[in-house]
Amino acid sequence: MNLHNRLKEIRLHKNFTQESLADAVGVTRQTIIAVEKEKFVPSVKLALELASALDTPIEKVFWLEKSRGEKS
Amino acid sequence: MTGMTSYYISRAVISVAFGALFAVTGSPWWTAMLIGGFVFAFFLWAPRSGRYSVHPELGITALRRDERTQVINDKAARNAFVVSMLTLGGITVYFGALALTNVPIAVLKLVIVIGALTYFVSDLWLRRSQQ
Repeated sequence: MNLHNRLKEIRLHKNFTQESLADAVGVTRQTIIAVEKEKFVPSVKLALELASALDTPIEKVFWLEKSRGEKS
Repeated sequence: MTGMTSYYISRAVISVAFGALFAVTGSPWWTAMLIGGFVFAFFLWAPRSGRYSVHPELGITALRRDERTQVINDKAARNAFVVSMLTLGGITVYFGALALTNVPIAVLKLVIVIGALTYFVSDLWLRRSQQ
């Protein structure tokens, strides 16, 4: 299972910069970049904080998807 | 006063205190000033480094490693530990079974250097690959 997200799209829609979102959840801008590029899987706490800062249900920001060849 | 202003003021005070500590414990005044300067330079660099996030409301512990940095540091430390132990094992086997002599201290120092090098290279590589 891979974690995917729509963080960048929602962030832009809510008029947040990477910097302002990073400040809102107490991480660095580099962490926001890494999450948006799906290079870094955030903890449950950070994922919930991001969803809360964006005022969006967490399932709209993050979701799991089966990777290729993975059985159900 | 904004959050970052209070951060810079408090870090300047800490840097001066750090330098003063060296001055009162017998270091030359220029060494104390240099150390205070280096400490303050670190505090100026830290918020821009991408390694630390600033939480001015936490006072003296305002500088925190953020989540990604913690994950990277943990992985780098694990890599360094594994490489150090493998090197130590290799050295022990070599000197115990092949060379049949005591392990020289200089060789053991090498294990620490290799471990430290592995830590910094891993940290840099993970930082570049996870962005």
